[in-house]
Amino acid sequence: MASFISQAQSRILRLLGLCLLASILIQAAAAQVPHERKDFIIWGIAQNNDSKGTEAVVHAFQAAHPEYNVRLLSMGAGGMDPQKLMTSIVGNVAPDLVFQDRFTIGDWASRGAFMPLDDYIKRDAADPNCPKASDYYPPVWQEATYGGHVYGIPYGADDRILYYNKAIFREDADKLRAAGLDPTRPPRTWTELLAYGKVLTEYNPDGTIKRAGYLPNYGNTWLYLYSFQMNGNFMSADGRTCTFDTPENETALAYMVQGYDQVGGYEKAKGFETGFLQNENDPFLVGKIAMKTDGDWILQDIIKYAPSLDIGNAPAPVPDDRYNHVGAFKNEKDTYTTWVGGFCYSIPKGSRNPEAAWQFMKFALNPEGRMIEHRANREWEKHRDRSYIPRMSANIPANALIYKEFQPADPKFAAALKLHIDMLAHSSVRPPTFVAQELWDEQVKATEAACLHKGSPKQVLLASQARVQRDLDAFYGEGKYPIINLWIPFWVFTGAFVLLILWVMFAFRKKKLGKLSKGEARWAYLFISPWVIGFIAFTLGPMLASLFFSFTQYNVLNPARFVGIKNYTEMFTTDWGDTWKAFSNVIYLAGVGVPLMVFTGLAVALLLNGAVKGIRFYRTMFYMPAIVPTVASAVLWIWLLYSDPHRGLINGIWDATVTKWLGLAPPGWLNAEAWSKPSLVIMGAWGAGSGMILWLAGLKGIPTSLYEASSLDGATPRQQFWAVTMPQLSPILFFNVVMGFIGAMQEFDRIYIMKPTDSAVGPGESLLTPVYKLFHDGFAYFKMGSASAMAWAIFIFILLLTLAQFALAKNWVHYEVEN
Amino acid sequence: MTASILYLIGTIATWVAWCSFGVAVFRGVEALLKPKGIARSRSTAAFVKAAATAAIGFLVVLVFPMKSGLEMTGFRLPIVWPVLPFSGWGIFISVCFALYRGYQLLIDRPVSSDDQTQSQQSQIRAWMRQAIAALICAFIFFLFYRSNKETIEIVKGSIPFSLTSALAIVLFAVVALILMAIAATSVTSRGVAKKVVLHVMLLVGSFVFGLPFFWLVITSFKEDIDMSSANGLVWIPKVSEEVPYRDPTNPYYQTTMRLALQGNNYRDQSVQADLIQKESNGKYLLNVARPMTLEGTTFEAEPSTLTEIDRMIPVVSGTYKDTAYVGKVIKEMNDGHKEIYITSPASLAGQTYMANPSDVTPVRHVGLKLSNYPDALEYLPKEANMGLTYLKNTLILVFFSVVGTILSSSLVAYAFSRLKFPGKGALFTVLLSTMMLPAAVTLLPTFLIFKNLGWIDTLYPLWVPAFFASAFNVFLLRQFFMTIPNELEDASKIDGCSYIKTFWTIMLPQVKPALAVIAIWTFMAVWNNFMGPLVYINSPENMPIAYAVQLFKTDRGGEPGLMMAFATMSMIPVLVLFFAAQKYFIEGVTLSGLGGR
Repeated sequence: MASFISQAQSRILRLLGLCLLASILIQAAAAQVPHERKDFIIWGIAQNNDSKGTEAVVHAFQAAHPEYNVRLLSMGAGGMDPQKLMTSIVGNVAPDLVFQDRFTIGDWASRGAFMPLDDYIKRDAADPNCPKASDYYPPVWQEATYGGHVYGIPYGADDRILYYNKAIFREDADKLRAAGLDPTRPPRTWTELLAYGKVLTEYNPDGTIKRAGYLPNYGNTWLYLYSFQMNGNFMSADGRTCTFDTPENETALAYMVQGYDQVGGYEKAKGFETGFLQNENDPFLVGKIAMKTDGDWILQDIIKYAPSLDIGNAPAPVPDDRYNHVGAFKNEKDTYTTWVGGFCYSIPKGSRNPEAAWQFMKFALNPEGRMIEHRANREWEKHRDRSYIPRMSANIPANALIYKEFQPADPKFAAALKLHIDMLAHSSVRPPTFVAQELWDEQVKATEAACLHKGSPKQVLLASQARVQRDLDAFYGEGKYPIINLWIPFWVFTGAFVLLILWVMFAFRKKKLGKLSKGEARWAYLFISPWVIGFIAFTLGPMLASLFFSFTQYNVLNPARFVGIKNYTEMFTTDWGDTWKAFSNVIYLAGVGVPLMVFTGLAVALLLNGAVKGIRFYRTMFYMPAIVPTVASAVLWIWLLYSDPHRGLINGIWDATVTKWLGLAPPGWLNAEAWSKPSLVIMGAWGAGSGMILWLAGLKGIPTSLYEASSLDGATPRQQFWAVTMPQLSPILFFNVVMGFIGAMQEFDRIYIMKPTDSAVGPGESLLTPVYKLFHDGFAYFKMGSASAMAWAIFIFILLLTLAQFALAKNWVHYEVEN
Repeated sequence: MTASILYLIGTIATWVAWCSFGVAVFRGVEALLKPKGIARSRSTAAFVKAAATAAIGFLVVLVFPMKSGLEMTGFRLPIVWPVLPFSGWGIFISVCFALYRGYQLLIDRPVSSDDQTQSQQSQIRAWMRQAIAALICAFIFFLFYRSNKETIEIVKGSIPFSLTSALAIVLFAVVALILMAIAATSVTSRGVAKKVVLHVMLLVGSFVFGLPFFWLVITSFKEDIDMSSANGLVWIPKVSEEVPYRDPTNPYYQTTMRLALQGNNYRDQSVQADLIQKESNGKYLLNVARPMTLEGTTFEAEPSTLTEIDRMIPVVSGTYKDTAYVGKVIKEMNDGHKEIYITSPASLAGQTYMANPSDVTPVRHVGLKLSNYPDALEYLPKEANMGLTYLKNTLILVFFSVVGTILSSSLVAYAFSRLKFPGKGALFTVLLSTMMLPAAVTLLPTFLIFKNLGWIDTLYPLWVPAFFASAFNVFLLRQFFMTIPNELEDASKIDGCSYIKTFWTIMLPQVKPALAVIAIWTFMAVWNNFMGPLVYINSPENMPIAYAVQLFKTDRGGEPGLMMAFATMSMIPVLVLFFAAQKYFIEGVTLSGLGGR
């Protein structure tokens, strides 16, 4: 035994040595030449085949400014991931320039995370390249300002218009006429839009959608479009009140719900959407969608992949009253309206090279800079024998130049581009507020909840409004809470701790110990010091700190304010919907997932315990899933659970069996509210191997004498299992259950990776977990107060659960040694 | 609903009938083979019982009209699936349990003999209690069901078989049952029959557990067009054939690109590139085709530095002038038309023509698309250095975490197990209680600590804590140190060794197996750690593999072939470790003392 161990042990050591050697070698190989020039780091610019223009601008800038070393980081950075950017700003490793969605400017600016650009603009006012407000579309420029300061220079402006497939209109002309609709023109009003959509929707024999006429939230509309068309808004003019729940917004949301209900419900529509592919197989290009409201970015895709597609464009249909100028719209001058968004360049606080960032903005965003970009893009497409359609700019002179030089030859594309540019003058922007991201998240949530009939539009909007208003009040009312210096509790804690140490040392001195034992004790304290230090620095200290934070309102960048138990009371009032959802989700995952996992493990172990030959092979097969890294297995299961039966393995098998035999359509798994948690449960059962190993060890440990004795008493195998095996295994069952519950309560990694990208946290928030909420509040918004309160709620919940399990265990867990 | 219930009864009758038929065959053969006596009469009785049940079942099926709505030809084995809300499942399970206990109480009550009466009475009372409890549960679930007004539905269906396959299955089952019955009568072969059944079950289980793996690997070798197919899933990957080709009008070059941009990683990058145009200054303007991460980068090069190489073009088949041909695509037009150079048959060879995209099909043969693997790596950002940077970061983390964990945990465990000091008991209790602490509680403050140290976007926050001992490992090692006999330690003390020397030379070697297990667990934990890098790491230079896989998913999620290839690569080191040290993975549990209570 000993020799075998040392042999294997040395193998492990050698493996470790190999790791070290490899890492050193790779490090040497990847060693970088020290930079002589000053790094200038830009985040958020994509680098792919569609971004040749941006790349050209960066090249040109680099050539003009050899003193900087321009580095583009597209991965793990910027883009729409606010958590990464916020962490880097808080952590003082911010990039120099970010390419950021404009509507969130208020979020960043209000927390002092971005630099105001007014000083630069004033300084360089004489420079013709310096951005001027008058050169930009007013709503777009306004979107990039906050509190009277400019925080970003707008880049593009993308408004939404209606795209429709004329071929489908022709094909179904008779049906349209039969419904009293004119197949030669697109719908103009909401009523018409749904009427056209209804006629153009087709179904498969099993009831699933074959072709959708119009899906209210497909393309790029969101609640914003419909709300703007109703002249609704989400914020009051002074920015202090959230106005989600207004008659206008309710009508807009009710309209979206109606749009989904008429095709058979939101879940059915989402199930249809999971079958969508990209590029040349885009659903609109292959005729799976007859009409959609979308931005100008799809023009390039259409000309690239389906130049002959017979598209038509029109302004996005508006409410009937608006179109007819009656009722509330009697004096409305814009018949049509839409919404506009886009990106901008901003300089984060902590930028090490703000001057370079400013120079780059001036260089890239003036009309000449934009032309470099479009010319390079055109060259690239030309090289591929393709036409090029430019994206619109936020800069008015640049747009004029662009349209002049890049007007598409094909009239249908020229008309589309022209319509996009013309509609910019009739567009609204999302309100520039510091709760912009939250408004966005809440409208996603509210839309989904209403479409799933979780509540009436009024109910869901009221709930969302309350949450946003809570944060608005917290921000504007923070003056009433006293500022506290966080160093005071820190020093109090440290002082108390030093006193404790002194007291222990004093007590130790007084204690009558022999010289030898004193020496031994000194060594012992030295030996346990790593744990003691770690315990204080990484466990006890942080625990107390988080307890302390939970009574404050603190976002790291600004001073903390003491708010008492507000964070806790909100958890049970304004946020109760989320809290309940999060905890009930993990209770489901634990309550269904843990037993299933435990019993799968036990069943496999019982089977394995019987077979003698080939046990190594079987054991390996069953155990392997348990060692697959979480991220890799999550990625694998997304693919296995793909709801399109032609792609996903599980639905493929389902389609070939259950659908054939019972006529039940395959479930939507991660995209369906009722199936997203079962998906995780099934995935968990696949990884039951680690529990199985434990069971197997337990089974081997049961003395055979017990079985022999019970056989003599005439016990059947079944009786033996219940009377001998289970009691003997009960400690393992207990261990498995307790650890399984603690693990399930902290579910995070799989959720983060597996949640569908276009929904909140799983459809209908069906995958929201407490730790996910904590992470999101904590690292995307740095709401240290409410996140810490959540942390303590999780802690207490797990503690109570574990204690309850220990209390119950006395009744059923059988320990051999009774003391 | 009545139709559904009739169908349900009919289905149950069918299944009971077929199962009883199997039992009857088995028992019948047994009865024939067994020697006269109690054994035979018992088998005969069982045979009669099973045969009667089967007969009744088949009769019921004949009488019942079974209309599922999905009409099939051939033989149909009916199945049902209850579509129930949770309350419905609760009612179903409770009622089933109550019925089972009722059956036991009323019908299956064992014949009582005097000495067993006592225990039987208590058992019957227990059954009764459980039956009543189940009924109460059912009632509670029923109240839930009523209050939520959820639907209960029995979905009717059937498994279709062609007559021949049905006959073949029945025949096979009968033969297998007869064989098993024969085997069961002789003591020596009874075990064999059991083993066969067991192995079959294990093989099926292994198949189910192995299938996702298999699918992962298969997908990573598939071409994009095989990812989704109208005819169901693609199990055998195929690759499109390609041939080398040189186009004098559109040459393809291999060269070294000098590009000032992007730091220094790509200063002398070897690339393959297309010619865009010849510049007036004599240089060539080129466009990078590979590696993919640089695809589309435009650069200038001296013609003398270029080497012309073959480009790979697809082989297609189609029909031209009513003749089937095989050819190669020498040019793809922007409107989708393809210029084809026909290679066979001889009558058309050498001709070129413009084909409609729908008229040609790529020539494919069974094979693996190995290039998904290098392609996936080529798509990584430039800083990742074809993934080597990720590997390096992960290995650094593994190395320091393992070393740190082993050193600190064993030292602490040694003190707690072998040394005496005041406050030991209390401190150990504190240590044990930290095992229950969810990591979430300390997440935010820990972030602030590392932020104040200036360690954001470095690897330190991910491995430094390993040097401060973790409770679970200390506990595990302490159990081990406790088992070492005192004599060893005493001997070294007499020799005048210090505590640290005793620990290092005497004690540590004794617990090597436990250290190996801890090393492996730490390795796995580091490899799995996703939340840590997600919080602390921002730049590709410092990213470990787990986080890179997630980012790859967001970037390239639409290309399952690449995605699965990258996921497979990310788990290869773990699998290698698993197969190299399987003993420790599996016996680690036993060593930990958890398995043996």
